[in-house]
Amino acid sequence: MAQVRKHNANRKVVLSLSATTLVMLGLGFASKPLYDTFCRVTGYGGTTRVAEQMSEVVTEREIKVRFDANVASNLGWTFKPDEVAMTVKLGQNALAYYTATNDTKYPIVGTASYNVSPIKAAPYFSKLECFCFTEQRLEPGETVTMPVLFFVDPEMENDKRLDEIKTITLSYTFHRVENPTDGAVRAEQRQAQIDKLEAIDLDVPEKDETQINQQGRG
Amino acid sequence: MSDAYGDHKPKFFTRWLFSTNHKDIGTLYLVFSILGGLIGGYLSFMMRMELMEPGMQYFASPHKFSMFASMHGLLMIFFMVMPAVIGGFGNWFVPLMIGAPDMAFPRMNNLSFWLLPVALICLIASMFVPGGPSGNGFAGGWVMYPPLSTSGHPGPAFDFVIIGLLAAGFSSIFGAINFITTIFNMRAPGMTMHKMPLLAWGVLVTSWLLLLSLPVLAASLIMLFTDRNAGTGFFDPAMGGDPVMFQHLFWFFGHPEVYIMVLPAFGIISHIVSTFSRKPIFGYLGMAYAMVAIGVVGFVVWAHHMFTVGMDVDLKAYFMAATMIIAVPTGIKIFSWLATMWGGSIRMTIPMMWAQAFIFMFVIGGVTGVHMASAGLDTSIHDTYYIVSHFHYVLALGAVFAMFAGFTYWFGKMSGYLYNKWLAAVHFWLFFIGVNLIFFPQHFLGLQGMPRRYVDYPAEFAFWNKVSSIGAMVTLVGVIFFLLWILEAFLVKRKAGDNYWGEEANTLEWTLSSPPPFHQFSVLPKIK
Repeated sequence: MAQVRKHNANRKVVLSLSATTLVMLGLGFASKPLYDTFCRVTGYGGTTRVAEQMSEVVTEREIKVRFDANVASNLGWTFKPDEVAMTVKLGQNALAYYTATNDTKYPIVGTASYNVSPIKAAPYFSKLECFCFTEQRLEPGETVTMPVLFFVDPEMENDKRLDEIKTITLSYTFHRVENPTDGAVRAEQRQAQIDKLEAIDLDVPEKDETQINQQGRG
Repeated sequence: MSDAYGDHKPKFFTRWLFSTNHKDIGTLYLVFSILGGLIGGYLSFMMRMELMEPGMQYFASPHKFSMFASMHGLLMIFFMVMPAVIGGFGNWFVPLMIGAPDMAFPRMNNLSFWLLPVALICLIASMFVPGGPSGNGFAGGWVMYPPLSTSGHPGPAFDFVIIGLLAAGFSSIFGAINFITTIFNMRAPGMTMHKMPLLAWGVLVTSWLLLLSLPVLAASLIMLFTDRNAGTGFFDPAMGGDPVMFQHLFWFFGHPEVYIMVLPAFGIISHIVSTFSRKPIFGYLGMAYAMVAIGVVGFVVWAHHMFTVGMDVDLKAYFMAATMIIAVPTGIKIFSWLATMWGGSIRMTIPMMWAQAFIFMFVIGGVTGVHMASAGLDTSIHDTYYIVSHFHYVLALGAVFAMFAGFTYWFGKMSGYLYNKWLAAVHFWLFFIGVNLIFFPQHFLGLQGMPRRYVDYPAEFAFWNKVSSIGAMVTLVGVIFFLLWILEAFLVKRKAGDNYWGEEANTLEWTLSSPPPFHQFSVLPKIK
């Protein structure tokens, strides 16, 4: 009788311990989607926001946005920002350009990863349109210009932790895509996209025209 | 105490290969641990010889040096400390101390042990197959960060490491399940949780940490494996992955891992300090729950290993504060040991010398740990020899000294023979002087900014490196004396009594013969 009771007691402990092991193993794998969601929601690790609508409020506070470009060692592209930095007001919609050249003799599809530093500014950095959202295909020797439409969220004004921030750096790294999808952006689509973006009136209603057009590309 | 049935032992091969007896498996673990320690020690000795002078003397390439460093770390952690404190002393003494006839699942116990040699063979094999672009073996450190462990090591060496570590990990998970079940269900009548000896408490908390942290390591190793071999991109930014996520997963395992290694050591030290102070341990319940607290808090401090990855200031502040809080339960343990000795009638036997040295060095390692918990300071000394010195003070000197303390304390109980005190004392003093010579100067090197993991260094670091390498030679002689006193004890065969330390050694193993009968407690002891 005692033997049977002990047997059952052991079985109960072992089952719950094995379940614990499996749950932790599962959490280990689930950490990938959990971590992605966590980064997107909190801006952790410099993950920027994707905005649906253009900003409609502009404040007086100015911030310098620096642009940084990197390429993975196996890519064979030259990749640079057209301007190293621009000064924008909080809430001002701004358009910046990067230029990439395929230095090799064959077409390459690349995709850009991105982040913002200082990290705590990332939740306030919103991108409306960006070449990093899609894969980019460059023909041999082709040089292309790629746009980023962004604004710095005026909500930043209300965050005391960001009071000392005067500069935000937006950084991209282009990686090679080994198995590209058909959706990679090619020359003609890219031009159409630029035309579309340049047609947008970046002007935010009322105040301050002096700031608005100075960062426009041309 | 022994009866006819109790001493019926199977023949040699059946006894050692198919063993289901907790004491025999404990012995296998201890022998395995000594073997793992000798191989791991050889790797570190070669590193110290290389670093004795600036320039490259013994190693053909920096890759090989890094490979030695990586394998030294993995071997010492998974194949020396863990087998000894958990598999060795845990298997031997947890059932004896709680009055159980054996472990709850003797066959699973056998599986736990025999997975380890398989794992060790995988790791050793990895050193001889192509790894990185510049040589054989895996040279990415014991932390195995991608992309160095994925695209940086295209050869199969790291796949061997992954398979070996998965085997070692599952060995420990099975062991943990076994220990928790044994401690929950097989305590002798009257042995309540709050009367349980502290080694059993240490092994219980450690088993929980193993159970919760090792599956996360297993998951991240499998993700590394598929990133390398199956085209996934968990940690590859080009495919939307994040290498920093690996660091989070790794240290979610890696930080509890350091407590896994040291909690059973805390238990061993408590028994020895109490026995040779002729006093019961001061603040027993505080000691037990301090270990529980260390285990719990140990799970929420992991990112202090990653202060330099580019982390939000608020997050750093949290991890810094949480890390420093661990000093409180650890302090409770240190002060309770001191309070146990205070006013006690102290006998400086060999195990007591090891235990005192443990406390001394664990405090040094603990203090430098609090330094580095400070995120600002850590930014400057991250990945320098300061951290190398810190974790060797708490592990190489802390945990290893506790292992020698336990080994010299229970050697007579396990083998039935007494050792030569003079040889054992020489072993202690050479080892104590040697390891302090190795690691204390590394504090200075770290503060001067010497980075870890490099095969060569500028001439201004030469002096303290030389001192450190001389320390390695002294330690080597100490290790020879360790092997000598074991050999001498088995050759001379001085019989050990049932309780050769006197009545202050009052846990249940001392009520049995030395060595204990093959099967003990066929009538369960009653605890008042």
